[in-house]
Amino acid sequence: MQTKRMTFRSHWLPYALIAPQLAVTLIFFIWPAAQAIRQSFLREDPFGLSSRFVGLANYTRLLDNPEYLESFRVTVVFSTATAALSMGLALLLALAVDRIIRANQFYTTLVIWPYAVAPAVAGVLWWFMFNPTIGIFTYILEVVGYDWNDRLNSADAMTLVVVAASWKQISYNFLFFVAGLQSIPMSLREAAAIDGAGPVKRFFTVVFPLLSPTTFFLLVVNITYTMFDTFGIVDATTAGGPNRATNILVYKVYQDGFIGLNLGSSAAQSVILMLIVMALTFVQFRWIERRVQY
Amino acid sequence: MAQITLSGVKKIYPGGVEAVKGVDLEIAEGEFVVFVGPSGCGKSTLLRMIAGLETVSQGEIRIGDRVVNNVEPADRDIAMVFQNYALYPHMSVRQNLSYGLKNRKMPKEEITRRIDDTARILQITDYLDRKPRALSGGQRQRVAMGRAIVRDPAAFLFDEPLSNLDAKLRLHMRGEIKHLHRRLATTSVYVTHDQLEAMTLADKLVVLNGGRIEQVGKPLDLYRRPASVFVAGFLGAPAMNLLDAHVDGGALHVGDVQILQGVAAQGPVIAGLRPEDVHARVQPGGAFRLEFVEELGGMRLLHGSVEGQRLIIQSPLQAEVGPEMALQIAPEALHLFNVADGMRITNAVRQAPEAADATG
Repeated sequence: MQTKRMTFRSHWLPYALIAPQLAVTLIFFIWPAAQAIRQSFLREDPFGLSSRFVGLANYTRLLDNPEYLESFRVTVVFSTATAALSMGLALLLALAVDRIIRANQFYTTLVIWPYAVAPAVAGVLWWFMFNPTIGIFTYILEVVGYDWNDRLNSADAMTLVVVAASWKQISYNFLFFVAGLQSIPMSLREAAAIDGAGPVKRFFTVVFPLLSPTTFFLLVVNITYTMFDTFGIVDATTAGGPNRATNILVYKVYQDGFIGLNLGSSAAQSVILMLIVMALTFVQFRWIERRVQY
Repeated sequence: MAQITLSGVKKIYPGGVEAVKGVDLEIAEGEFVVFVGPSGCGKSTLLRMIAGLETVSQGEIRIGDRVVNNVEPADRDIAMVFQNYALYPHMSVRQNLSYGLKNRKMPKEEITRRIDDTARILQITDYLDRKPRALSGGQRQRVAMGRAIVRDPAAFLFDEPLSNLDAKLRLHMRGEIKHLHRRLATTSVYVTHDQLEAMTLADKLVVLNGGRIEQVGKPLDLYRRPASVFVAGFLGAPAMNLLDAHVDGGALHVGDVQILQGVAAQGPVIAGLRPEDVHARVQPGGAFRLEFVEELGGMRLLHGSVEGQRLIIQSPLQAEVGPEMALQIAPEALHLFNVADGMRITNAVRQAPEAADATG
């Protein structure tokens, strides 16, 4: 590829042009991250008046803490369930849109809308619909004989956050699946049809394998999303409860740090999360760039 | 193997566009039929309707004794070779070949035997375990044909299979397809926009234009007696010269120049002359004004005009060339067409001995 190279006469102009972006990055990303790393080696006194260096004590305490390990387990369940549900539904919707000829632009637009909803708003929306007292879904579930209560039942609570988080992420996955499907040549599916594969077999033997780069990419993106971008949804629906059943890692950072005011431990948790994000990013660039499959 | 019959086949797209406007055609068992025409003439749509990839809006398609209008592509017992080959990129060549057989629950030994046979015929045995992306264009083309052959279907459908190859390879594969058809004698329908490919491959040539059949017949019959101006201009390279002319008292004139005598028509006509049928000799004051010469090696093409109308003459190398030349045309080489509808005027001139006889 040919890249066009701009040369600047003055020395200060290019720096001036990237300065705003640099400032934002420094103030909102680099500085807090550095603060978190520093904080994670410190312990503060109960009144916040002094702090002392404790080495890795915050980390070792965390890894010995069953509550923290439980939060890890909850996060794995939540991430897996959300990624599976949102990707599965998105793929179904994408396949449906791929089949219809009339007005598919219209349906596509509708499916994309939830992505524009703020996480906290989405959380409140689902919180209302599943509200044990006034929720419409609670009512429907009661009609079919299920006593829904996400404030007491931890399975119900987990279901609620998974559904709310998936609903928001479906749009994103859907767009990528639609694009992925469109990049599979029509003639391949026609060839498979002539080769005697029915629609279901055609999907599993031809379409799905050819979608695997998209699927893998989305898997990484979705895990990242569920681990880090779902704070608003959890906070608005279950606030980590009942009995910490939906207390995922990112929510625990907030609870321990801003509610419990245990800043050292909270900072250590942030650093662990940062490491996870770095690992995921690494996996993504490493494997997606040199695509795994065919 | 089977014959294919199309009767009154139409394709009307939602919105009212008629892509195929009523086609009747008999394709005999073992025949190699080529659909040829410019882009948008409906040839691919027609093929895809036979394959079952497009619905038939009106009319009937039979393969063998069966009306297949509502039969799934998989159950029509046909195999198709696509323009872009449509090989499954995530499967090896062997898996590509076996996919259609496995889907039909064929026993394993039979699949292996068929793949080995096909691979030998097409000389792709060495690549059986490679993925398509590791193959060259010509090799992919062979695999695509292999996938059709291995099925041993009632009919092969080819959708411009050679158009992605370079000229040399195209010529080679054309020969191989012809050879394969000799060997397998399976009913074949072949779509192309390349008139040379059509002429050389076809047992029966179907020229399509604007969703209708212009003419059906043996390639040489169509070449020698085109039924319309369209067919005349489409077959042959360089194309037939088509001149606005008029017949007056049995003499054919282009402008003020008399070309021929003894023509049984009257009034304005379109005169068709193949470049190889026009002979020119140097003569100052001759009707043909030479503009430039194209050297093709074995012969040369003289580009010029008669009374302001373009004319191309194919000339042997030993013939002399000059700026002004006189034309000599044998009466039987002349084709005359109606100005109004472009159809051939039959018996206007003494015809060549029946063309069909000559093809043998």
